[in-house]
This record gives sequence, structure tokens and C-alpha cells, in this order.
Amino acid sequence: MYSLILLNGGIGSRTGADQPKQLLKLRGIPILVYALISADRVEKISQIVVNYPPNWREKIEEVLEAYAISTPVTLVEAGDSRHSSVAAMIPHCTNDDVIIHESARPLVRSSDFQQLIDSQFRNVSLMSEISFTVAPVDPETSAVTGSLDRSRLRNVQLPQKFSRSDLQEAHDSAVEKQIEYTEDATLVADHGFPVHFIEGSDENFKVTTKTDLKMAGFLLRPEEDDDE
Amino acid sequence: MSKTALVTGASRGIGLETARRFILNHDDITTVVMFARDSEDFDEAVRQLESELPIGRRIVPIKVDVGARPALKKAVKQAYDQVGNIDILVNNAGYTNPVPLQQVKMSDFEKTMEVNLYGPFTIVKTLLNRGNTFDLIVNIASTAGINGRSGWLTYSASKAAVINMSQVMREELSIYGTRVVCLSPGRTATALRRTLAPDEDPTTIMQPEHVSQVIYTLCSPVGRFIDSENIVVRQ
Repeated sequence: MYSLILLNGGIGSRTGADQPKQLLKLRGIPILVYALISADRVEKISQIVVNYPPNWREKIEEVLEAYAISTPVTLVEAGDSRHSSVAAMIPHCTNDDVIIHESARPLVRSSDFQQLIDSQFRNVSLMSEISFTVAPVDPETSAVTGSLDRSRLRNVQLPQKFSRSDLQEAHDSAVEKQIEYTEDATLVADHGFPVHFIEGSDENFKVTTKTDLKMAGFLLRPEEDDDE
Repeated sequence: MSKTALVTGASRGIGLETARRFILNHDDITTVVMFARDSEDFDEAVRQLESELPIGRRIVPIKVDVGARPALKKAVKQAYDQVGNIDILVNNAGYTNPVPLQQVKMSDFEKTMEVNLYGPFTIVKTLLNRGNTFDLIVNIASTAGINGRSGWLTYSASKAAVINMSQVMREELSIYGTRVVCLSPGRTATALRRTLAPDEDPTTIMQPEHVSQVIYTLCSPVGRFIDSENIVVRQ
């Protein structure tokens, strides 16, 4: 069985709203609910560890109650950074395998979680191809310093799954080395554990800006809107 | 697959015909919860249905007034605790007292809204809050909710609200994969119709079993291909 770490502690400064973005409404439903319902349908997820921005616990609890999420939920206050939040949530996981997702990716499907669970590998991330070219540069001199082969690069997505002990060990080691990571697949790989990827959908993007919100709303509209 | 349905207003008319068709003819529905007010009609309907029940099928009659919110919530919780998940919900119970605008009593307008609008809403919300996942919700509105009718202000307004509420439910509940269908019957030979049009010959208009047949089709495998925000059923 799996524990889901659902990162939900952002304050959403880039959406310019007066509340955390995960509580903003997408087609009339709080953003956070989409990932919760997708995860709630997955039989092998037996625990959801959700974090919350300081002072927003009550609001998050209201949502959890109203939508009657049946998987047991553990609430943890968010840390100062994404990295420290994950580190604080790992000890609350009761299963040996964990899945990490973030509520800011509402277009995640139950099948995305299932695909990870079904993978033969223990540490796996959804990743998508990069459709544009990325160049290495020196920002100080504004010089382009070479080229990168984009077939050997991937856009790192969530959800990801890890052995809890590998994840814990990688986090402990990062603390020792005083390195801060923005996500966990590269953190775990950098600390010597095997990490694999499976192809993710480009629809499973992170809602960060107001434009992202509009795009997510468009993708979530009823399919009959496509009918002629 | 064993499914459970809940039908309101199940003592007579469209509700009773729907409950009957579900429990006697539907391949998958093995339990039908019947909500209706306490009445001789209801007792008789339950007695009759129980005498016809095929093996392995059951009806669960619960006496409740859909317009009495605290009692309704209690009945919904009782039904959920007793039978588990409600897969199919038919919000059929209706009330009307047609009078000219100048004579509408506020208390009667409120009663109309309680039964026709807040009742269906309360059932859906109470079940969702308990973790129920619906396959299908059928809200019975009326063609009178599409166009207002002189003398039917309270009824027309309540049914217009049902049509609109169904559209919202349809969108919000799509995250669970729930289908929400609004069905607007035209003139149907029911007790409610007799109140609206007392001089009409009921044998000349659509019968409750015709509407129940449409509801039954919506619940059949082919039903998911019938997709409309408001299906009009009329003769």
C-alpha cells in the first residue's frame, strides 16, 4: 500500500489572489479537490498526508469534510520551502512506499497514480518530453555556452513514487550537504538511488498563474463542448 | 452488478411506476429505497410490490415528507446506513397548489420550493457529504419550468430552478463520473396533474408508466448515450 504526500502548502503569491491557490475555484470546485478525488479512487493509496499553509488548517479541513474523502487523511503544517515540507511529511507516512503529488496539478487522473503503482521500478516519476529547445548559458556574461540534446532531457512532473527509506535517506543527506532541491526525483537520483521515469501527459501541468487557471478550466470543461 | 436506487414520491404516479419497473425488470437494480409520505396509497403500493418481488430483490420503504428538511436528512442517513451506496437517485416527489399571483401565500410558495427544489438538493448533498458516489441522478422537472404558465407561478418557478440546479449538479458531479439528467415531462396523468388541470380527462394524456419507461431507459446500458441538459417527455 502507498501513502500519498499531497503538497498543498503554497500561498499562491503568483496567482495574485487573497487566498492560497489550492483553495481557488476551478469550474466552481476548489483546486485541491481534483487531486484528492483522483487519489481517493485509487485502492492502493491507503493514506493521504496533506500539508496546509499556516493559518489555513480550518479551511482545508472544511473541504476534506464536505467532499467526504474516504481515504484517511493526516494533516501537517507546511514548512518554509517545498523541500522542507516534504521532509516534514515523510515521517507521517505509515506505508513503506510513498507517492508525492501537489494539489496545484488538478488535471492528474487516477490512472496516472495507477500507472506509477504498476511500474516495476520502486522510484519512478512521471516526466514529459520537452517540446522546445533549452540552451545552457552564463547569465553573468549573457553568453550561450553550448547546446543540450533535448532528447536526453525531460520535464519533471508529479506524481512520483519512492521507497520511503530511499526518500528519507536522500533528504537526510541533502540536509547534511545543505543542498535545497525543488523536486524529489532528481534529489533521490543525485543521492545514488535508481530513479526511472514514465511518460506523463502534457495536460497534467502545474497551475501557477492566472493564465494556467484559465487553461485548466478549459481542459476540464465537459467534453460535449467539443461536439459539433 | 448489484445496484441500489432511491426513488422519491414513490407512493403513486411516476415515482411508483419507476420503483416498480426498477425492481421488477432492471437487470442490475436489486434494492429500491422508496421515499413517500405516510399514506394508505403508500402502504398499499408497498404491499403490492412486495407480493411481486423476484428472489434476491428488495424494496426498502421509508415514510418521510421530502418537504420536511430535518426529517428528510434523517431518512437519507437511515437509508444510507441501511443499504449503503445509492447508485441511482430519482428525485420525483413534487408539490403544487396553483393560484393566481395575487393570492399566493408565502408559506405555500416556501412549501413548493421545499418539496420541489430543496428536497432534491438536500438528498444529494447529504449523501455526498457521507461519501456516496452516484452513477446517475434523475431530477424530474416539468415543461412548466421551461416556460412559465399563468396561474402556476410557484410551481413553474420551482421547476425552472430544478432545471438550472441540474445543470450545476451535472458540471460539479462530473468529477465523480456521475451523470445528472433533468427530465421534464409534459402533461402526465398524475395526482399533481389533477391539481393543475382538474377538468382534463386523464385518459387522453401521457401516463406515468410512459415516463417511468424513459427513466428506465436512462438507467439501462444504452442510457448513457442519451445526453441532454433537459430531456422533454411529452405526448
